[in-house]
Amino acid sequence: MKRAWIVVLVISLLVFSASWVVAQEAKPAEGMYFRLVTHGGDDPFWAVVQKGANDAAKELGCRVDIDLCGGDLALQQKRFQEAVALKPQGIALVINDDTAWDKPVEDALAQGIPVIGMNNDDSQGAAGNARLCYIGQSEKAAAYRLARKLFDTAKAKGIDLSKAHVAMAAEVPGANYAKIRSSGVIEAMGEYGITSYEIIDAGGLEMTTVEARETSYLLAHPETTFLIGLGGICTDRLTASLKAAGRNPGEVIAGGFDTTPDTLNGIREGYITATIDQQQYLQGYFAVYVLYLYNKYGFTPNIDTGGYLVDSPDKIALIEKLSPLHVR
Amino acid sequence: MERFTKFLRQRAASTFLVFVGLVIIFSLFSPRHVFINARNIAALGKLFPDLGVVALGVGMLMICGEFDLSVASVLPFCAYIFARSLYVGIAPVWGMVLAILVGCGLGWINGFLTVKTRMPSFITTLGTLMFWRGILYVWSQMMPLGIRQYIPTGSSFEKVFAGTIVGFFPVQSLWFALFAVVLGVLLHYHRFGNWVYATGDNRDAARAMGINTDWVKTLCFVIVGALCGFVACMQSVRIGSFAATQGIGMELRSIAACVVGGTSLRGGVGSMSGVTLGALTIPILDNGLILLRVPVFGITAFIGLATILFVVLNTYVERRFR
Repeated sequence: MKRAWIVVLVISLLVFSASWVVAQEAKPAEGMYFRLVTHGGDDPFWAVVQKGANDAAKELGCRVDIDLCGGDLALQQKRFQEAVALKPQGIALVINDDTAWDKPVEDALAQGIPVIGMNNDDSQGAAGNARLCYIGQSEKAAAYRLARKLFDTAKAKGIDLSKAHVAMAAEVPGANYAKIRSSGVIEAMGEYGITSYEIIDAGGLEMTTVEARETSYLLAHPETTFLIGLGGICTDRLTASLKAAGRNPGEVIAGGFDTTPDTLNGIREGYITATIDQQQYLQGYFAVYVLYLYNKYGFTPNIDTGGYLVDSPDKIALIEKLSPLHVR
Repeated sequence: MERFTKFLRQRAASTFLVFVGLVIIFSLFSPRHVFINARNIAALGKLFPDLGVVALGVGMLMICGEFDLSVASVLPFCAYIFARSLYVGIAPVWGMVLAILVGCGLGWINGFLTVKTRMPSFITTLGTLMFWRGILYVWSQMMPLGIRQYIPTGSSFEKVFAGTIVGFFPVQSLWFALFAVVLGVLLHYHRFGNWVYATGDNRDAARAMGINTDWVKTLCFVIVGALCGFVACMQSVRIGSFAATQGIGMELRSIAACVVGGTSLRGGVGSMSGVTLGALTIPILDNGLILLRVPVFGITAFIGLATILFVVLNTYVERRFR
């Protein structure tokens, strides 16, 4: 009996060891190291990107680190140089400036370090920066899609779009995301015959300041037909601002980006028509996979990860289910 | 004329005059006089206390000769404690008590570091500003936490901290007024206030008078922490969630509000009425300029310019009339 137990134990150990070895062998990117150099920092958006990158690294068996530079371009450039010095198998870089990244990326590529773009690209794409490929939401396409949704909603309500006024609130008006997203909205405006618009400096990332500026703007500009939050915080504060300015649900047609709790509540209450979920988990996840595949096969695919339009209760339910898991 | 000169000798007099001037200009010249529209006043009354309450504490600390830059991190840290406590089943009232106690604790750490190491508080609180925000990012993973399911709109807790009185007047303004009065009495009519002024004006002399300046400074830091804890909860109840971006930029705006209100950066000079006016003036300037349809892109530049002009005006009035 004792002998049988020993045999069972030995077989179990062998099976466990074999499966462990097989599992270890199944990790294809063992020993590889990738780095994500981003301008992100202060918001939940980047926690989800990080989760996507970590999940991919776990699956592939590689190591990945993410730099969050809080919008500080100089710091981000320093982090990029440090990443290059570490000689990783690849870097995914947020290209948040059209000129600042041209030379650093060329230098890194010359040293044999693959650099891909993620989340934000040069406004000229591959023509503006030597990065190998880009993974992320096409900001302009997402904004264009959102704007069309809002304008169609207005049209269905019988609003005369030739007299409509579009206000776009941006936390950091000069930042690439705001410039590119607003250009998508403006392109859609042209198709619907809308000519009047203004970009509002919402005063930064602090929610009370954003809410105060949006509210003041609505009170000063009763002609506002559309209010679009170009960033997640501006979108989050839309509902409170519309309520404070005494607007009824749907009176001003509002929409924006990201899926914070108050944005989703705003859609439920009818104050917000739609918001764009960037599906940023995929940006982190695919960045790691693409760098691995580039090292193995030389693939350089451009991947559009976004603009999932959230505009109905079932889509809200999906987001709310996955949000605690840091996936949406 | 003599009365006017006497009035101008008051520290916050010039701020008061400019404040009244701004109110008159914005009321007269905003389209449809929207500045004095009930909705605009309600929106202002609801939003300015977030900065205002913190500025009251920061003002007292500045009079004591110290700065607290960490308010921008202590506030979201306390907001996270509050939201997390709700998620683990703690009642909102006790969650708020916990958040305020944590704020006091973080304030005490600032005070302890400053008085024991003799480092300038600008440096110690710059360090804790970054430290606590970093800890918050790691802990919260920067994910928002909705709290509407624990504090529904219309619940008594929501009404007390984010409701309205007679269906119009935001309760946040009353909280601000309460804190302004309590801290004003403490600063101007209690011996602790004398110790604060003495410590800020000349620390060595204050010590020679038998004042425990370390204790006074630490207590001022604790008051700032407690106010951050309170505002964290009040703001979270209003926005219905915790957000990692709460409080960003508040460290400089609270100092700007105090400076506009006539508080000296060198300590020993300032008043609670001045800080109150400063905390009111900056949001009103921001609001009024937008209502005047000044291009919103230029507002920040106007605020910066106004802050400088206020200091110049205060200095001029001080030299001319005091």
